[in-house]
Amino acid sequence: MGLAVDDLTEMLKGTLEGCVLEIISREETYGYAITRRLNDLGFTDVIDGTVYTILLRLERNQLVQVTKRPSEVGPPRKFYALTDAGRQNLATFWTKWRYVSSRIDKLKEGDA
Amino acid sequence: MSFWEAITGSDLTRDWKAFEARAQALPADHRVAWEQIGTHLFSHGSFTGRNLTPIADAALGLLEEASAEGQGVHEVIGDDIAGFSAALAGEAGAGNYRDRWREQLNRNVARKLARLGG
Amino acid sequence: MGVRDLIEGKKQWRAHVARVKALPPDYRIVYDEIQRYLFKVGPVDLIDGGVLPGLLDFFEEGAAAGRRVLDVTGADVAAFVDGLIKGSPTYADAD
Repeated sequence: MGLAVDDLTEMLKGTLEGCVLEIISREETYGYAITRRLNDLGFTDVIDGTVYTILLRLERNQLVQVTKRPSEVGPPRKFYALTDAGRQNLATFWTKWRYVSSRIDKLKEGDA
Repeated sequence: MSFWEAITGSDLTRDWKAFEARAQALPADHRVAWEQIGTHLFSHGSFTGRNLTPIADAALGLLEEASAEGQGVHEVIGDDIAGFSAALAGEAGAGNYRDRWREQLNRNVARKLARLGG
Repeated sequence: MGVRDLIEGKKQWRAHVARVKALPPDYRIVYDEIQRYLFKVGPVDLIDGGVLPGLLDFFEEGAAAGRRVLDVTGADVAAFVDGLIKGSPTYADAD
């Protein structure tokens, strides 16, 4: 890979939660699948523990609701779906993201 | 003289006497664990141990049920009786130990996993 | 209060311990060390907030997926644990 994108941890810090909410908004899903989705997207440094920590926070803040469902392999899995508050939070995330990224792009273009 | 009498002296209450009688009925390992929990609990509570009575009762009950089910001390309490007792008493050491505990956690994990991997 | 409540619900605690015992050895080592750390650091809602039971669920899922424990927690286990209890008051914080 030509680009040095192997250490995004710091830069992703504030946005990962929004990414997780977005993934959950598409369909009800479970922790390990969310990590895999982020890894496939190119965020290869994201580990299950990080996603688990985010899910725990989302649950505490009642942005997601959790349902335990049986799995073919091993113990029941916790599936996550957005609550109304979660959907609102996600909408706010995208508004903020568009604002930040458009400002930063402008800065780069030099006409800010 | 039992451990509890040594600690509580003449303040020994009816509750604690009853605990002592129950402890005598435990297997040796469980009884040792009970005495160790007692030592640690007392280091967290007031000297008369009044506020510790329900906690000690719960801990003793746990050991009794464990022994009735044939579970060993290690299985129900683990190997960290001091930590277990501190958590029971709802207290912990000073915040400035936290970095040390953090390092200890990572070091122990690395050491034990290495030993496991052979 | 967390651990105290769990001990008072002795049946639950023993069921919890039995599940820990059923974890693969590497997960069990890390679980035990984390529990030992948490007992010391003392998050107030260790059980009510579901920290230990949740961690156990998470480890069981990881083990079932055939992953190694440090691949799911990251090499810095303490950082992972601090992330888990971030925002929940600890006795250490109160000092």
